[in-house]
Amino acid sequence: MTRGAPISPPRRFRSAKAVRTITGWAFLAPLLGLNLVVVFGPSVATAYYSLTDWSGIGPAHWVGLANYTRALKDPAVHQALVHNLIWFVLFLSVPMIVGMLAAHLINRVHRFRTLYRALFFIPYITASVVNAAVWKMLLSPDSGIGHLLGTDFAWLGDTRTSLYAVNVVVDWHWWGFLAVIFFAAMQGVEPQLYEAATLDGANTWRQFWHVTLPGIRPTMIFIVLMTIIWSLKAFDYIFIMTHGGPADSSQVVSTLMYDQAFSQFSAGYAAALGMSMTIVVAIVLVAYRLIQKRGWEE
Amino acid sequence: MNGTHLSRRRLLGLGGALGATIALPNLLTACGGSSSASAGSGKLTFWSDITGTPNQQYFTDKVIGAFHKAHPDISVKTTFYKGSDLQQQIRTALQARTGPDIVRAPSVSQTIPFANAHLLADLTPYSKKWGWDKVVSQWAREAFTIDGKLYALPMRVDTMMVYTNKTLFDSKGWTTPQNRSDLESWAAEAAGHGITPFGSSSVDWAAAGEWLMTLFWNNFSGPDAVYQALTGQIQFTDPTFVDAVTLLKSYFDKGWIAGGPSKYFSVPSAEIGASLGKGTTATIIQGEWYMSNIGQFFGSAAGNDSDWDWFVMPPLSSDVKAGSMPVGFGGSYAVNSASKQQDDAAQFLNWFYSDKSAALQRMADVPATYDIAIDFTPSEIPSNADPRTTRLLTSVNQAISSGNYGYVTWTWWPPKTDTMVFQNLEQVLTGKTTPAEYCQQIADSFTAEFKAGAAPKLMKRA
Repeated sequence: MTRGAPISPPRRFRSAKAVRTITGWAFLAPLLGLNLVVVFGPSVATAYYSLTDWSGIGPAHWVGLANYTRALKDPAVHQALVHNLIWFVLFLSVPMIVGMLAAHLINRVHRFRTLYRALFFIPYITASVVNAAVWKMLLSPDSGIGHLLGTDFAWLGDTRTSLYAVNVVVDWHWWGFLAVIFFAAMQGVEPQLYEAATLDGANTWRQFWHVTLPGIRPTMIFIVLMTIIWSLKAFDYIFIMTHGGPADSSQVVSTLMYDQAFSQFSAGYAAALGMSMTIVVAIVLVAYRLIQKRGWEE
Repeated sequence: MNGTHLSRRRLLGLGGALGATIALPNLLTACGGSSSASAGSGKLTFWSDITGTPNQQYFTDKVIGAFHKAHPDISVKTTFYKGSDLQQQIRTALQARTGPDIVRAPSVSQTIPFANAHLLADLTPYSKKWGWDKVVSQWAREAFTIDGKLYALPMRVDTMMVYTNKTLFDSKGWTTPQNRSDLESWAAEAAGHGITPFGSSSVDWAAAGEWLMTLFWNNFSGPDAVYQALTGQIQFTDPTFVDAVTLLKSYFDKGWIAGGPSKYFSVPSAEIGASLGKGTTATIIQGEWYMSNIGQFFGSAAGNDSDWDWFVMPPLSSDVKAGSMPVGFGGSYAVNSASKQQDDAAQFLNWFYSDKSAALQRMADVPATYDIAIDFTPSEIPSNADPRTTRLLTSVNQAISSGNYGYVTWTWWPPKTDTMVFQNLEQVLTGKTTPAEYCQQIADSFTAEFKAGAAPKLMKRA
């Protein structure tokens, strides 16, 4: 044996390792096979169709990067991206703040804690189709909440408010989930830290700022990541409540993609938009990994 | 490990079996082409967008059930989908060379790409064999004939109507408007009473805007102008089309339609129906298909004593004759080219269209759902039909036979332009574009599609 050469493990250990490896892959195989069919296959097809003029029916003709250059210049895409940005800011801030506040309050009470958590969670577990349909009625200017309060303002029908009205509904459905997640994270913060802070004279706000927030930082970072991704693929509530309208006032990239694929018969262009959004999500994931590496999550 | 525990070998074996179970159907589907029953089994599949339990039950009992009695060797299995979902399911399935044997296909303009992509079977041999030229109206067959081949048969003849709260009209002493002046005087009076003259909503059907454009282009610009535009003789930028859009927008801005654009975009259609029943809305602009739903908003079940009726939109200019009705099709029936049972599927279509008395009975039983394009005289309509249904059937027949018909956008406009008609109308109603800019967009899109051969074969002027 030469100096510096690796020491080979005995043969029986090597074969045991091989068996473990094969066993692991065998367990993974069904899911990998399924993903190959339902994720990888369509992904490759989408990448290909994004380079064609495919209408969604019949043959596709190669157009190179024309769909991508069209997307760069398309005012509808620009407008949708701005809406995505507004959506992201609201979707990230409002439910996070409300959810954290609610979690902090639950953390400070002991009676009915489970009841509160259950109540907060109900909007999240209700199907989005149901939530959206109910809110569509609640926001109706002729019979909804506003009508009962004496105004017939059409929140979903006005181009100035449609995006925000849908966002309020999505925030309402989302904050309860965050409250429960944050509450669970807060349970993991050492009680001694609060006792020490109290002894040091820290009030409730300073305890929250200097003890609670650092204690739940990994959860917060993860929620921020998920929120960014979910902001980019926001679809269901918008599609059900406004179809991206009126006059594209609540159109985001995902609803625009759907419109291009199924209404405008431009499936190739829709595929290019999808691929572009995939790149954006990939950038977000890379940023998240960098954050992880710098230890911000710990 | 022993006892009842799984051994590693057995566990791996089960995993392999599970994997094979998951993968096998996909592989079989990929290799086999059609998911329908095997060749010659006499088992047909059909996906329908008929909604509502009573309607679905009627279809199952009176259509499929009757077919099974007439053809015991062929069975049809029906799967019901929500209307807007079905067309995407159909499109995806047909392209994967699977899907139902009998295809509930889209309307004329979208049938062209289906046919060009060889997704639909050529029905010409069946038409010749069973003499469909003597059964299905010529104008309807021609619409679905592409390069000399028949690819589909019309599912339902469509038109636009104005539904009214008859009780409200009677109590106010209102009569059916005969011209634009009548209509506007009446609308102003109704609005003065705090009643919305025309109910309309795009909340549950984003394409509702094209119903309005269909009416305003046909009843203001006139069917002749529409025909000329759709055959490329004039452009949609012609002032007659721009003025029609301007007129529609002015009705919106006055609050006559839906109470204004923002309510049109936000009040669900069920609420509009309920307000028609209550009499806070005087009329609803809708297609003939609404006749099968409107009853739920009237009578004791809806908590009112009102009744409904309908009238044909009066001419909005001197270019239009009274009684003119825009016509077209609400979808079609075709046969999947990947089906291994095309003969059986065609047999179903032949049964559905050829038995005139059964077809008329269906039209009488269920209002405006089974109105297929067959030739009949008023005396052939079953006597048990609702008088409003009978009047609809005879009015459409009269309009067609006398040449006093127009063109609905969802049938005769090429697909992308048709989508633009209702999507871009939202920009007009919200003041983001002018009627002239809107018509320019329509003209540009239409010209491109017309040159590409995407425009359907138009029903000729009489």
